[in-house]
Amino acid sequence: MRSQGRWATLVMAALVLGAAFPFFRAIAGSLTPEAQLFEGAPLWPSPAVLEHYRALFAERAFWLPIRNSLIVAGSTTLFCVTIGSLCAYALARLRFRGKTLLLGVILAVSMFPQIAIVSPLFLLLRSVRLINTYPGLVLPYLTFAMPLAVWLLVGYFRQLPAELEEAAMVDGASRLRAFREVIVPLALPGLAATAILTFVYSWNEFLFALSFTLGPERQTVPVAIALFRGQYQVPWGQVLAAAIVATAPVALLVLAFQRRIVQGLTAGAVKG
Amino acid sequence: MPSVEPRGAERREARLAYGMVAPAVATILLIALFPLTWTVWESLHLHDLRMPWLGQPFVGLENYVEVLRERRFWGAMAHTAWFAAASVSLELVLGCVLALAMNRTFRGRALVRASILIPWAIPTVVAALVWRFMFEGLEGWLTDDLGAWLPVILADTWKETPFVALLLLAGLQGIDPALYEAARIDGASPWRQFRYVTLPLLAPAILVALIFRTMNAFRVFDLIYVLTGGGPGTATEPIALYTFNSLMHNLRFGYGSALSVLVFLVTFALALGYIRLLGRGLTEGRP
Amino acid sequence: MIPGFHFRLMLWVGLLGCASETRSGPTTVTVSGSVLGAEGQILRRQLERFDREHRDIRVEMQPTPDAADLRHQLYVQWLNARATDPDILQVDAIWTPEFAAAGWILPLDRFAPDTAAFFPVTIEANRWQGELFALPWFVDVGMLYWRTDLFPKPPGTWEELDREARKVVADGSPRYGLVWQGARYEGLVTVFLEYLGGFGGRILEGGRVTVHEPPGVRALTTMRDQIRSGVVPARVLTWHEEEPRFAFQNGEAALMRNWPYAVAPMQDSASSRVAGRFAVAPMPAGAGGRHTAAFGGAQLAINGFTPEAGAAWQVIDYLTSPEQMLERARVVGQFPTRTAVFDDPALAQALPIPPARARQIVEAAVPRPVTPVYTQLSEILQIQLHRALSRQAEPAAALSRAASEMQALLDRVGLGRGGVAVR
Repeated sequence: MRSQGRWATLVMAALVLGAAFPFFRAIAGSLTPEAQLFEGAPLWPSPAVLEHYRALFAERAFWLPIRNSLIVAGSTTLFCVTIGSLCAYALARLRFRGKTLLLGVILAVSMFPQIAIVSPLFLLLRSVRLINTYPGLVLPYLTFAMPLAVWLLVGYFRQLPAELEEAAMVDGASRLRAFREVIVPLALPGLAATAILTFVYSWNEFLFALSFTLGPERQTVPVAIALFRGQYQVPWGQVLAAAIVATAPVALLVLAFQRRIVQGLTAGAVKG
Repeated sequence: MPSVEPRGAERREARLAYGMVAPAVATILLIALFPLTWTVWESLHLHDLRMPWLGQPFVGLENYVEVLRERRFWGAMAHTAWFAAASVSLELVLGCVLALAMNRTFRGRALVRASILIPWAIPTVVAALVWRFMFEGLEGWLTDDLGAWLPVILADTWKETPFVALLLLAGLQGIDPALYEAARIDGASPWRQFRYVTLPLLAPAILVALIFRTMNAFRVFDLIYVLTGGGPGTATEPIALYTFNSLMHNLRFGYGSALSVLVFLVTFALALGYIRLLGRGLTEGRP
Repeated sequence: MIPGFHFRLMLWVGLLGCASETRSGPTTVTVSGSVLGAEGQILRRQLERFDREHRDIRVEMQPTPDAADLRHQLYVQWLNARATDPDILQVDAIWTPEFAAAGWILPLDRFAPDTAAFFPVTIEANRWQGELFALPWFVDVGMLYWRTDLFPKPPGTWEELDREARKVVADGSPRYGLVWQGARYEGLVTVFLEYLGGFGGRILEGGRVTVHEPPGVRALTTMRDQIRSGVVPARVLTWHEEEPRFAFQNGEAALMRNWPYAVAPMQDSASSRVAGRFAVAPMPAGAGGRHTAAFGGAQLAINGFTPEAGAAWQVIDYLTSPEQMLERARVVGQFPTRTAVFDDPALAQALPIPPARARQIVEAAVPRPVTPVYTQLSEILQIQLHRALSRQAEPAAALSRAASEMQALLDRVGLGRGGVAVR
């Protein structure tokens, strides 16, 4: 067991280093002066400059895309968790016909290549005047984040003991109230896991955001970063700085909720 | 569940259930129904935006036949299949190793978990740019037909393993430690414990990871577009990039839609295959 | 109940989001173009000036990505949806016939543009079936950058270039002889076009593909042999525009083929090691050919679904007038498309290279085949060119294969030897 412990630590260290190295390179790059950035960029810059970060906020108003991403990702997460948990609870606990069909439809929707869906979806959103609006992004994101959310939450709800609702219902509560007041509080870890997955998906999504927004007032972070590119030139320093800034909120969220998240995924979510 | 209630209660339950799933279904139908039917409809017509004088005649399965005859399509499918197989297996193995190692309690577990999740949190285009930045200086990789796959697979593995590890960790923590105890008493080595206790009980977790990772690997686009652009030549071109070219570059909407439907069918078949092979349906069983 | 509440919430949010601003009063014209850096600033300044001079027309900028692919994708999406905004589109050199055939941009002949005032090649590249569909704004051409401290004069023929480059590289510095864009993308076709023209060949002759004829084979063989012999490093096969520029800028290449944009950053002595030590020339010619430059740049077109064609034309007319072109040349270094501007002595102060030299290269420009299916043709050609250069196929075989596929495509859509299909 001792040697296993050491082996585990070594493997862990190697994997953590492997995961961290590109990120470290990105941070180093974001602090390197522009002239040194191409071919032969040093491992750690000297002098390290904050120029790119300054330009990011002073010249490119990077606050705007961050605000947009927060609103879109936040709304998507809120709605996805709410709607998804309702749906998942019904699938997990209630009896009705068409369960498999429902699960199949939810899953099948996200199997189409995104690029094929973009054009007709653009036509659809345009016809209801939702282009360049927040709902215009939240609605498609909801649709495509739903499958994973539902699948995870179904598994999660399943492993909660059936007696819980019964106890509440015996006391006279309706099923719905039992759900709201008994199940949901217990399901917080599962909901947290779903929330972070949905948030990361919405935060990072690029194709829809590019296609359904028209200007800086509604463009999200990945689009803004892609727009840094000139016709031929990529301002690496600013791109890397933006990448670091873009990852920070998600990293913080993950750090803050990582225990809940693992708990949520853990509690038999995939026990089946 | 006490079953003495009459049919009325059953119907009430069903009605409640329909009410609860309604928002999800409504959202999905509202958003996805039109694009999906439109895509299928387009795939059955000749629709080339560059040449509107050709009209939009119904051509049945002609687009599909043309796709299946196109060498570049088979190349793209092969690339996608190879990419999916290589990266998903790598992610499963590494994810399993990571999950096993994370399953122990040790100090700094929170920080380790958080740092492992970071690659997964970075936007794909950004991750691809970082990896391209790292490989651009190295001679010979991005110029070689086979070699160009290395940064692609590495980048994808780097990004997606944390997600797989989390799912597998979940499954691991659901396994009753008493089983290991029993196995150890019976004299089983750690490897045999893994093979005969861990793996079978991990199957549901592996199933979920497989389905979602394969689905996404088959649709890979951003990563390869930014890293290699599908090159050198078309050596790393996945099916989604080929579809993008047909739709957005060559403006062949009928042909591109047929491509999309084919990709959907393949992904669907794979998911079905996985479920049949590995899964005990999530909808069966209690209550 | 709960589901109803969710429905209502969603509808409510949807309605809130739908609240869009409507504008009444003067005609509003939206211009989509590059908004990054100096280009964006100069465009904004010129549009503001137009705004002040024309009280009845308001101009707004709609930013679109600079990366050609992304801008193209957005245009396709908008125009396919018959969007009326933006009214004015900044169109890449190879998009005009495609958009024209699709009916997405307006023919401009009814506004009687002064086509004789522009370089003939710029007008020719924007005509589809006899009608003019976009007005040339500024022109990009492929040029040979050469080190004035390493060569007494720019090489005029390919043999000369090979010979001189080998001599210069012999003692190890600079590392590379000639560098260009060799990745599998549109840039490769533009480079090939210059070699091809240098040997007297063309990609397309009417509806007939001629790229596989002897001049084409000679051109591609020259390119491949240059890589084989080391005059051109094999790494160019993954390079776009920036990598050769950095190589030349850091003093690692003796010669470079690139667009005019590279001049400005390389003359900045703070970051460039070759500031003041390079000049430009037309690409060399071979036996039986002439100096050729690939034609690129931007043109302005009017959205086919716009309700304000007249106002849009006024904006385009303004942006392409001589004063605006001169100002652009001064601020961004882009080459004007009007011949008269080259006679203006102010241009010498404006452009970073001698105007006579720029004019010589522009007059040597050759457009890529003007056909709506060009992107597809280019893809076919790119793949085979790249295969030949990375030694996966012999040049003659690769070109034959490309030619037969290209011809098949043209014939199939009615743009080939059988004559041109009518709109």
